[in-house]
Amino acid sequence: MATREVGSEGGDGALTEQFVAEWRNAAYNCYSSGHKFCREVCPVMQVTRDEAHTPTAFHANVVAMEQGHLSIEDVARDYVHCTQCGACELRCPNTLFTGDFYRFRTRTVDLVKAVRALAVESGVHQPGWQRWNELTDERKNEPVLNGTPVSQEHVADWADGLGLPVGGETVLFCDCEAAFYRTSLPRAVARILQAAGVEFGLMREQWCCGGPAAEMGYVDQARRFAEHNVADWRAVGAKRILVLDPHDYISFTEDYPRFFGDDYDFEIVLVVELVAELLREGKLTLSAPVDRVATYHDACRLNKRKGIYEAPREILRAIPGLTFKDVDHVTQWSYCSGAGAGLSIERPDLTAEISRRRVERAKRLEVDTLVSACVWSERPLSEQGESQDVEVVDLMELVAQAAGLEL
Amino acid sequence: MPTVTLSDALLDELVQICGEEHVFAGAAARFNRARVPSPFPVHRWDEFVPDAVVLPTSAEQISEVVKLANRERVPVVPRAGGTGLTDGAVPLRHGIMVDVKLMNRILELDLEDRTVTVQPGINMLKLSEELKPHGFIYPDNPASYPCSLVGGRIGTSGWSLIGGRYGHTRDLVISFELVLPTGEIVRVGDGGGPKVRKSSSGYQLKHLFMGHQGTLGIVTEATLELVKRPEAEFSAFYAYPSYLDAWRATGDFARSGAATLAGVVLFDEWKLAYLRRDDEAYIPQPESVKAVVALALYGNDDEVRASAKRMLRLGKASGGTYLGDEISQGDWASRHDRYATPLHGRTRDGQVVPMSWHCEDASILYSQLPAVREKWHAIAAGLRERFDMFDDWGMFAYTNGAFKPWGDYLTEIDIGIWEMQWDDESWAAWVDAKREIARVALEHGGSISACHGSCREGEVDLVPEELGGGFEVMKAVKRALDPNNVMNPGKYLLDRAYEEDAP
Amino acid sequence: MIGFRLAAQRPPDPERITDTVVMRFEHIYEVDPNLMTEHTPQQSFPAWDTLRIVDSRWEHLAWMHDHFADSVVSGEELLREIEGEEGEEA
Ligand SMILES: Cc1cc2nc3c(=O)[nH]c(=O)nc-3n(C[C@H](O)[C@H](O)[C@H](O)COP(=O)(O)OP(=O)(O)OC[C@H]3O[C@@H](n4cnc5c(N)ncnc54)[C@H](O)[C@@H]3O)c2cc1C
Ligand code: SF4
Repeated sequence: MATREVGSEGGDGALTEQFVAEWRNAAYNCYSSGHKFCREVCPVMQVTRDEAHTPTAFHANVVAMEQGHLSIEDVARDYVHCTQCGACELRCPNTLFTGDFYRFRTRTVDLVKAVRALAVESGVHQPGWQRWNELTDERKNEPVLNGTPVSQEHVADWADGLGLPVGGETVLFCDCEAAFYRTSLPRAVARILQAAGVEFGLMREQWCCGGPAAEMGYVDQARRFAEHNVADWRAVGAKRILVLDPHDYISFTEDYPRFFGDDYDFEIVLVVELVAELLREGKLTLSAPVDRVATYHDACRLNKRKGIYEAPREILRAIPGLTFKDVDHVTQWSYCSGAGAGLSIERPDLTAEISRRRVERAKRLEVDTLVSACVWSERPLSEQGESQDVEVVDLMELVAQAAGLEL
Repeated sequence: MPTVTLSDALLDELVQICGEEHVFAGAAARFNRARVPSPFPVHRWDEFVPDAVVLPTSAEQISEVVKLANRERVPVVPRAGGTGLTDGAVPLRHGIMVDVKLMNRILELDLEDRTVTVQPGINMLKLSEELKPHGFIYPDNPASYPCSLVGGRIGTSGWSLIGGRYGHTRDLVISFELVLPTGEIVRVGDGGGPKVRKSSSGYQLKHLFMGHQGTLGIVTEATLELVKRPEAEFSAFYAYPSYLDAWRATGDFARSGAATLAGVVLFDEWKLAYLRRDDEAYIPQPESVKAVVALALYGNDDEVRASAKRMLRLGKASGGTYLGDEISQGDWASRHDRYATPLHGRTRDGQVVPMSWHCEDASILYSQLPAVREKWHAIAAGLRERFDMFDDWGMFAYTNGAFKPWGDYLTEIDIGIWEMQWDDESWAAWVDAKREIARVALEHGGSISACHGSCREGEVDLVPEELGGGFEVMKAVKRALDPNNVMNPGKYLLDRAYEEDAP
Repeated sequence: MIGFRLAAQRPPDPERITDTVVMRFEHIYEVDPNLMTEHTPQQSFPAWDTLRIVDSRWEHLAWMHDHFADSVVSGEELLREIEGEEGEEA
């Protein structure tokens, strides 16, 4: 955009100063390398090719803020261009080759969150995100249906007829997108767990996990939501939380521990890993052939941010009748659906293009199905899949089918 | 604070040429295109900021931008990956930055005549990923293979880690289209046909338009060699008790005559000391290991196996200790990533600090390596003594010649610099040191740069000396092709071409 | 084991390897934390993250081999072959 501006002296001095003090070392660590190994794996960068959207710039901006060349107003919009997929920070040699050695790695995702938070605190809002978080705050769940009412009253509608109790030692946390939009996923998960004899219940009042608010910079709100959910878990006696969405898994294993410290004593279990274990232990058997040719879309938050890529493949290989054409998970460090971290709210055009390219890659393998394990990826991927004749299904939906379960 | 010096009218024209969404005049867009990864005077950042950035999508757009720049006498600076280490893509006079990243398409894959034609914003690793299903690779393999782009490879005339076997950028680029400094679009290659590999028609313009650091035009399309993917890779790392033993072994490997030999690398004891700081392969090595030699082979399986055996016999005869498959294979595969690690940096009292990486890259004759090494380390020691912000990260020497990798070596001394500490005094000392490092290279019959180019502050002062009468030709060419000095002005002392008594 | 527990994320205590290097997890070296006290404090690093990075590094290296060639020839294997050949000659 060719708007004319010159570097300004810096927005809210104190907030920015505090932020710079906290991020200065990390910023210089990248600035001192500046080699951009992160660039070609970035899903946004692959589309925009704009250097201002790279981790290099995200870090250098902090140095420039320290030097008084840039202000939060100058840079806030650039930080919208990130899905927090984690590719860049993993591929960065300062993580991949020396992060473990120095206990100091590149943390682009945390930096992006911190800058977004600084922007919010400084009163620089992105209109789409502001509205999204206001609505979430009102309704306690994300306004995923674009107009269709989302509310606490309906948060467990997806479970109608499944006979699930409230509470118990093990509780299934159902992501907002799954609870209100792709209800076939939580139904599949519930059926699978029931078939395998896993006892579990639901929360009394399940609010959004708060992760999206944290990702967009609305930190206080994220914390309030976390506090509510943890209080609810404690109230129903939960000790073990089953998670069916990778984004929630990040919230519960990274954000919540930061909020609550050592008091946070829950066991967080990813459903995909649990199902792989149930199959291994013979508690679940897949015998109904699934006649599809499929490839797997590595969910970014599992593959890149958590190193979880084997369990979904193990499950796919156990499905009878399925022809599985795999693309290795390292190649998939550069793949994404574009759905994460609010990009689809502020730049739906970019999300659509990132998804289009992902589906195109699947199409080249001559498959009819793209399997995902991330419910947030499934909406934009499905939209693109329609025009390219590739069906997008969730891994658990496929498992339910192979286990002969009715949804 | 830098102010935008371009007029609104001129910005409007850029928008008309490139489209609103491809013209940037905001502060962040400009500040983030001022720098490359080489040491940068962060305290003087605003001196190097472009006035506007364009991301064109076609040669025609670039041509229009360049014509506009000539009309208005505004500098134009080409930028590809922005990973160049001689500040080529750093604007010295502000102006319009032409960032070619958005031009990253593969235009034609010719499996019959074995070429691939691409736009300049494509990255080599990504290109090779696309070529893999067809059984090909594009083996221009600098350590920056995951991040530098084809346009920048041509702009610098780069060097490849496996160039001994497959050639360097100039051997792998067959022809290219470029926008001249006055805006005309031409194609240069070895001859007329864009896919011809060897021709004797006319001047050899391909070479002239490579490595000019964006001072003679902007590449908009390139036809590249399509190389059969190697069936086999072999790498071996050997330990030696002294530098001279390792140096002799390096010579033996390099002169072995094996056609599969992609490169030989010599690490000196400073480099080993540096690697012992944090590299899992070197931490457990006994102190008796003072130098390491690495080599790599690529090609058909039968050929690689046969020459690997020859190398293993040479290694044994040279008194080296084979470091095992895990290190040999693992370290070779990490050749891109183990370069610029800021936390390698140590203050004099051993504390960890983030340091930038200066990589000297002279071409030095094999016979001169031991002597140059001592002089360079002495310069680095002098810097560290004066300022607790410099750190000697040791030296590598890599075989330099394509296909005949024995005469000279790309020789680097890596110097860590704690850039949070820059001030005018330390910067001036650094520039002097760089000039001294370059002087040593010339005194020993070498060249200031094997791959990055030599237009940084300090070293550039010696370029006329290195090139002699050739520098006069350079000036004449520059003035003839760029009468208004708009293409990346200030680089390579080429302003001298416009002084009154210039040729 | 599947499942995340915060209590399980605290890394084991370090064991000294060299003057400047320690080890907490088997085969994984770390800098002596005393070297990162003045200018660049270490980050909080849950165990899963260390292990993820180490695993990813090896996966990345394997990927790089595969990117450049169909197969990797083993020096150790060839050395054994050479020894055998030399034995026959002797
Ligand atoms: C970690 C690391 C390792 C490196 N290892 C190597 C190595 O092994 N071998 C090696 O050769 N280099 C190496 N380099 C240096 C650098 O990567 C190369 O010089 C590379 O060729 C620069 O490419 P780029 O796309 O980043 O170009 P840029 O830095 O953007 O530009 C380089 C020069 O080319 C000009 N230019 C850019 N685009 C065009 C165009 N379209 N037409 C004409 N001129 C243009 C620019 O003005 C500039 O002068 C390394 C750098 C890093 C950071
Ligand atoms: S994030 Fe890492 S790879 Fe990217 S520029 Fe910074 S240091 Fe280099």
